[in-house]
Amino acid sequence: MSTYAGQAAEHVTLPSSLDEAVEALAAMPSAVPVAGGTDLMAAVNSGLLRPAALVGLGRISEIRGWQYADGAALLGAGLTHARMGRPDFAALIPALAAAARSAGPPQIRNAGTLGGNIATAAPTGDALPVLAALEASVILAGPEGDRELPVSHLLTGMDPLRPGELLAFVRIPLLHAPQTFLKATGRTGPGRAVASVALVVDPARRQVRCSVGAVAPVPLRPLEAEQWVAGLIDWDGERSLAPEACTAFGEYVAAACIPDQPGVELPPAAVQLRRTVAALSRRALGRALA
Amino acid sequence: MSIIEGPGPVADTLAGASAHGIGASVPPADALAKTRGTYPYAADLWAEGLLWAAVLRSPHPSARIVRIDTADARAMPGVRAVITHEDVPGDAMHGRGVADRPVFAQDVVRHHGEPIAAVAADHPDTARLAAAAILVEYEVLDPVTDPEKAFAAEPLHPDGNLIRHIPLSFGDPEAVGEVVVEGLYRVGRQDPAPIGAEAGLAVPRPDGGVELYIASTDPHADRDIAAACFGLEADRVKVVVTGVPGATGDREDSGVQLPLGLLALKTGCPVKFVATREESFLGHAHRHPTLLRYRHHADAEGRLVKVEAQILLDAGAYADASSSALAAAVAFAAGPYVVPHVFVEGWAVRTNNPPSGHVRGEGAMQVCAAYEGQMDKLAAKLGLEPAEVRMRNVLATGDLLPTGQTVTCPAPVGELLKAVRDADLPPLPDGEDESQWLLPGGTSGAGEPGAVRRGVGYALGMVHVLGAEGTDEVSTATVRIHDGRATVICAAVETGQGFTTLARQVVQEVLGVEDVRVLPADTDQPPAGPAARGRHTWVSAGAVERAAKMVRTQLLQPLAAKFGMSVELLSIADGKITSYDGVLSTTVAETLDGKELWATAQCRPHPTDRLDENGQGDAFVGLAFCAIRAVVDVDIELGSVRAVELAVAQDVGRVLNPRQLAARIEAGVTQGLGMALMEDLRAPGGVVKRPNFTGYPLPTALDAPDVRIVKLVEERDVVAPFGAKAVSAVPVVTAPAAVAAAVRAATGRPVNRLPIRPQAAIVKPQV
Ligand SMILES: Cc1cc2nc3c(=O)[nH]c(=O)nc-3n(C[C@H](O)[C@H](O)[C@H](O)COP(=O)(O)OP(=O)(O)OC[C@H]3O[C@@H](n4cnc5c(N)ncnc54)[C@H](O)[C@@H]3O)c2cc1C
Repeated sequence: MSTYAGQAAEHVTLPSSLDEAVEALAAMPSAVPVAGGTDLMAAVNSGLLRPAALVGLGRISEIRGWQYADGAALLGAGLTHARMGRPDFAALIPALAAAARSAGPPQIRNAGTLGGNIATAAPTGDALPVLAALEASVILAGPEGDRELPVSHLLTGMDPLRPGELLAFVRIPLLHAPQTFLKATGRTGPGRAVASVALVVDPARRQVRCSVGAVAPVPLRPLEAEQWVAGLIDWDGERSLAPEACTAFGEYVAAACIPDQPGVELPPAAVQLRRTVAALSRRALGRALA
Repeated sequence: MSIIEGPGPVADTLAGASAHGIGASVPPADALAKTRGTYPYAADLWAEGLLWAAVLRSPHPSARIVRIDTADARAMPGVRAVITHEDVPGDAMHGRGVADRPVFAQDVVRHHGEPIAAVAADHPDTARLAAAAILVEYEVLDPVTDPEKAFAAEPLHPDGNLIRHIPLSFGDPEAVGEVVVEGLYRVGRQDPAPIGAEAGLAVPRPDGGVELYIASTDPHADRDIAAACFGLEADRVKVVVTGVPGATGDREDSGVQLPLGLLALKTGCPVKFVATREESFLGHAHRHPTLLRYRHHADAEGRLVKVEAQILLDAGAYADASSSALAAAVAFAAGPYVVPHVFVEGWAVRTNNPPSGHVRGEGAMQVCAAYEGQMDKLAAKLGLEPAEVRMRNVLATGDLLPTGQTVTCPAPVGELLKAVRDADLPPLPDGEDESQWLLPGGTSGAGEPGAVRRGVGYALGMVHVLGAEGTDEVSTATVRIHDGRATVICAAVETGQGFTTLARQVVQEVLGVEDVRVLPADTDQPPAGPAARGRHTWVSAGAVERAAKMVRTQLLQPLAAKFGMSVELLSIADGKITSYDGVLSTTVAETLDGKELWATAQCRPHPTDRLDENGQGDAFVGLAFCAIRAVVDVDIELGSVRAVELAVAQDVGRVLNPRQLAARIEAGVTQGLGMALMEDLRAPGGVVKRPNFTGYPLPTALDAPDVRIVKLVEERDVVAPFGAKAVSAVPVVTAPAAVAAAVRAATGRPVNRLPIRPQAAIVKPQV
């Protein structure tokens, strides 16, 4: 309603390939890339952002699908949540599909993309803990060519997007083992995560990797809890765990993500959050090993 | 989503018995335009050469204004006017009922978001930037944010911190019961959250007046407030009601309408304003956050002996509708139950919290949450079923309210409760694939069947219909017939509640013509009053009916005279006039013979009294009742709640439009569900947090339960036009208490706070 003509950007470019998009950004350093616009346009409408120019990524078909490369999937940054939620994708990367299905109402999921979710890097970005648990990497396209780095380096700001760079692909190892994503929102309809847990089993590396979203600015990896639980699993046998072990894992993860502060009692909100993370992690592990 | 069951007029008319007139599911005339997006709302308005307004609001909940410097803002290119309290030519203060709110803060600010200055510029960005460039030097004060501390705090307003105190005493204070239960309840701050943007356009008139195009729900009151502020005669200000995109309270923040008009008068140009959602959350009135302490006495059979209550409403900084909200809270403090002895202390106090005001069912909702919590406690203490304790105490026609008023209207409370109690329960989730079950947390949520408990809870609620305590409830309407088509002129605002549909139905019924139009409302028409408390179903539809009947008499009289029979022996249907014996048969158009017939009529129900110093008096014209049975599923580890089904039985007097009525009940239940589970505008320290729809989520279709209307009791209220009762507010009042009762049943936790936070619905593992 408040998007009046005066707020729209002056220049909009709609490149049809990654190269063209990189060129367009190089030609107009003040331009901002836009994919689904579900984060960007909200910022524009509320007056937080007035981009001088926009480079629309919606017509770059090479980043709207996925391909396989050496036991990994190469996902285009322009994949929408709706697309990732479909059964064929879910068969490939179940946890990411589950995250995509929960990332907002259908209208938003039809437009919002994987790349936008990563670039926005909101604490509640639902794809992010999944990517962290999968130890995914991102391939960036820029004026100086492509480079690849772990998604965590991007999210933590260790190695941020450089001017003129675009997220092109996300490389995800295909694990062929159970993985889960669980999200607590406090409501039944679509909502932002209060806490979320992504958990993947990696039989090849005999690892359980877990990542907790929304409780900190970036997804957290409780490495000790992961190692502890991996040590309990009979990797050559049934890979099942006793319920008590799942419960203990949940507590372990929760305490790692919402640690005690020496000398002070945890505030009630933190206690509640810890309880939520514990329940989610326990359930996630239980389902993965069911 | 709603299911209407059983025999009776509802099912019959849905089956398509008649397509127009009273009792038919006549669709709204504007439905298509709204669906297609062509319906013009205020935000869509445009005028040649318009300027854009922006309002500067206080970032502090409480501060002294040391200095306001507008020089930088004025100097910005494109800025046409900057106004502050110094530029208000008329009354500096305004308000519904009590004029205690400044148009622009002068010496002090009393809440976060209070308007301080406004700008008109040739571009909306320029206006906002200029507003931000106004320099305000504040001396920040400690805000009063705890209503319990407002009594002893320094007055934050010249009128003092106590807006109203009602001590109600009814019966014997010494009476005691064999069982006593006590409870403390809190209700949070619900925002009316009108979905369409708050917007308006002010256009100066050549005669020195101004026209305001706004989504007003009470155009004449808004005009009077505006005229007083602008220092103009009322006839120099015209309010034209634009399309109203939803309203469950006073829709617009007058903090926006007044600056808009002032800017138009100052610049001589049309000025438009579109509020951001943040401004909307800051500016308009909210539901009163309320603190309630209760003590119920009952005998060993569970019959109520005495109810004692203390009710504290947080009014925010200004009086607004707090006085009437308090009257409802106090009068209905014991609910639709017979209680021989009732003692209530009610206060509405000023704080530096966000402003409170009229939001559907104000006062009545908060107490419902509390007295129904008490009924559950009583049931638990006596080892009785919650529905049974309620059944032993239900109010009926002829009983006394704690205000000493006799209930003269239908009050089928027992029948309503029985209907929801006896209705079938919804099935448990089933199907092989557990992952497809809709559990708390949603389809792709974290719900786990093993951790989910189902609970069933009951609530009975009541509201008053029409303004109370001596409000002059009156509405005027005009009906015209010409060429076999009728027109209704009435300033009652269509807020989405369906008034225009109802007006068309009334005229169709009385004049037998199908083509009826309702003209848009403005203040050139006679006043019809606010769109609130079901008024327009009663007074405005009542006025339309009278006017239509007068037209009917004018139409039929000459015919009757000619044929030597009385008007009563003639009937009109489908544009044809026939006599009882079939001898006479002609058409409306023929009888009119090119003439136009007009009539104007008023409807004014019997007057009411203000509650006296003991909270006694016949304060209400009518009452409406509702029973709801809620079924919820709770994930007892995460505390997430899914409302599975809300079964509703309601006292409606008469069903005027079955589909519209079902939609009103669904909407009311859903708004109540929002209050029960998610809506609470947080303002720690008086500063509003996350004023957007991510921070303040509203129920969506997935959050909303199945709303099952199990019974509509049609006992006509003889004093009401058509015998009908207003239907929108009472489900809002009752639903939160029912959901809370169900969560209580599922978890065994006390659940004494709305909205119900996840931590209140967690069952800690036994160690
Ligand atoms: C109502 C609503 C509900 C939502 N609910 C959820 C939810 O439950 N969970 C959730 O995770 N998110 C949610 N979101 C947020 C949003 O939908 C997601 O973050 C989405 O993935 C963003 O993708 P997009 O394509 O729309 O990004 P855009 O808005 O187009 O872009 C976002 C940012 O990313 C940059 N960008 C986009 N693509 C690229 C690229 N290829 N390379 C470099 N930079 C890029 C843009 O410049 C911009 O800064 C919600 C949003 C709304 C409006």
